[in-house]
Amino acid sequence: MSQGLKIAKSALLTAEHLSWCTDGNLILDDISFIVEQGSFTGILGPNGAGKSSLLRCLYRFVKPEQGLVSFERDDIWQLNANDYAKNVAVVLQETPSHFNLTVHDVVALGLIPHKGLFARANKADDEKIVKAIAQVGLVHKTQQNFEHLSGGEKQRALIARAIVQSPRLLIMDEPTSHLDVRYQIQIMELAKSLGITVIATFHDLNLASAMCDDLLVLDQGKLVCQGTPKAVLTKEMLSDVFGVCADISEHHQHKVPHISYYYGYIQDEHGEHHV
Amino acid sequence: MFKAEQTKANKRQANQTQKKTGAWLETKQISQSAVTIVAVLMCFVSLFCALSFGAADISFTDVWYSIWPTETGKDIGFIQRIIWELRMPRAILALLAGSGLAISGLILQTVTRNPLADPYLFGISSGASLGVVILITFTGSIFTPMTPIAAFAGSLVAMFMLMLIAGRRQSQQVESMLLAGVALSFLFSSFTNLLLYHTDPQAVTAVLFWTMGSFSRAQWENLLFPTVVIIACITFMLAYRRQLNAMLLGDESAMTLGINVNRFRLIMLLLSSLITATLVSMCGGIGFVGLMIPHIVRFFISQGTIFGILLTALVGGIFMIWVDILSRTVLENQELPVGVITAATGSIFFLTLLYFRKNQPS
Repeated sequence: MSQGLKIAKSALLTAEHLSWCTDGNLILDDISFIVEQGSFTGILGPNGAGKSSLLRCLYRFVKPEQGLVSFERDDIWQLNANDYAKNVAVVLQETPSHFNLTVHDVVALGLIPHKGLFARANKADDEKIVKAIAQVGLVHKTQQNFEHLSGGEKQRALIARAIVQSPRLLIMDEPTSHLDVRYQIQIMELAKSLGITVIATFHDLNLASAMCDDLLVLDQGKLVCQGTPKAVLTKEMLSDVFGVCADISEHHQHKVPHISYYYGYIQDEHGEHHV
Repeated sequence: MFKAEQTKANKRQANQTQKKTGAWLETKQISQSAVTIVAVLMCFVSLFCALSFGAADISFTDVWYSIWPTETGKDIGFIQRIIWELRMPRAILALLAGSGLAISGLILQTVTRNPLADPYLFGISSGASLGVVILITFTGSIFTPMTPIAAFAGSLVAMFMLMLIAGRRQSQQVESMLLAGVALSFLFSSFTNLLLYHTDPQAVTAVLFWTMGSFSRAQWENLLFPTVVIIACITFMLAYRRQLNAMLLGDESAMTLGINVNRFRLIMLLLSSLITATLVSMCGGIGFVGLMIPHIVRFFISQGTIFGILLTALVGGIFMIWVDILSRTVLENQELPVGVITAATGSIFFLTLLYFRKNQPS
């Protein structure tokens, strides 16, 4: 996607001067950014940087003490919860459940914002569910217990739920943690293939580099830099924020920055080994 | 190139499996309606048996003629009275109690995401017992028309205390709800025991029998209230079945689907408590049903659908009718407390389940 095209598009989600603290600890400190319509935004940062908290502010789970999050110019806290759920779907890290819900049941939950209390699922809804399950490649598991799926399959089922929710923005909190490399790539490519705006947190910086149009880097609750992967993923940033030494090269398949880490941190105690 | 290949493979897989889903949906619908028909039939057969079995053995034909009397039939006025005035209301109360307790357990297990939640875990029945014991201690009489009212009041007090405690701590609602329920349950039991310690032995026996549950106080005019409560609650659950399912995947996930999680859970707790309070006040303490029936049904089917909720209610009702039949027929001229039978079958059931699961190669 070219830079010129992106500027022409309008902002879907805007955060202005977000701050949030619990028990006197400042978790998010004056964060502002814009998420363009149709873009894939990755949020990076070391453990405890406030990535999940930032997402929670975006999907209305926590109300920030200061600042404003707006979805297409509307303050999200002025919107009805149900209306917001029609526009924004969220995929969270897996949650344990001891109940006999089939994959089909879980995916059907995506209908909730769109259905009245006594409304039954009609044929179009059923087709939507079946299609979403096919899209994430889980058709052979449709009637299986959700709890018996592997981590990657659960994430895919939850993405199918989000597809049924037919949102304009998909928010994903650490969707690839605990997954094998292959599934990490698969989940992210799946999210990208939906053609909607996506905001996701990442642990794997190379994956983020390959997937995202924009990156936001958080450190101790502050937004330290934002921009394209090329602008953000620099030696300096990796050393300042993540405390690692690395070389940045160009990935030979899609020409985005590729990080190669250096090792030997135990001897690095005295600051000798810098490259 | 890699991408193109993969999409091709994906498409192929999707095409293949899409056909399979269609077939599966069809068979699922067939088996669902088959199970529903069997359950409804079972329910009627059980009701019929409940009318026939008992201290006075009444043949099935006599039962049939007293329900649908014909001019040519022999004179069965006496039998008709037994059936219409004693056994019928009793069987219906058992049906209501079974389905109500099963539904109430299902609600609690769902909104607390705890498969071991049960109406009794939340102190509602100990509140009812306390109400009854207070009444007996202060009035001296053992069973009066006031007894169900006292039980109802006791469970309402327990319920509101629980909601006050749970409603306060919004962030850890489930944990505080479970802990508060157990604590309240013990608190009420200790008060009950303290009062019983100071009342006369005859009252103690009566209270003991009451806490073990019985359908012997069933009368036509008492059935309207529990029927209305249970039907209303089931209707409410059917309306909110999707929201109930969403709660199973966690509060945060449910909230992102537009559900006001804390308010929804309190409303559901209120419903479940209302059912329990109504039933406890009429039949005394009947444990294990709310825990066991949703478990059995969940073992076989997904409970989130309209079908699952109705089947849970039906299975609970059928189970309770048979428990009542057993309680009336096991001992000659004597009634066994219903709670004893439910607890015994319940524990045997769980142990069997545990045994078979252990021996199953997983």
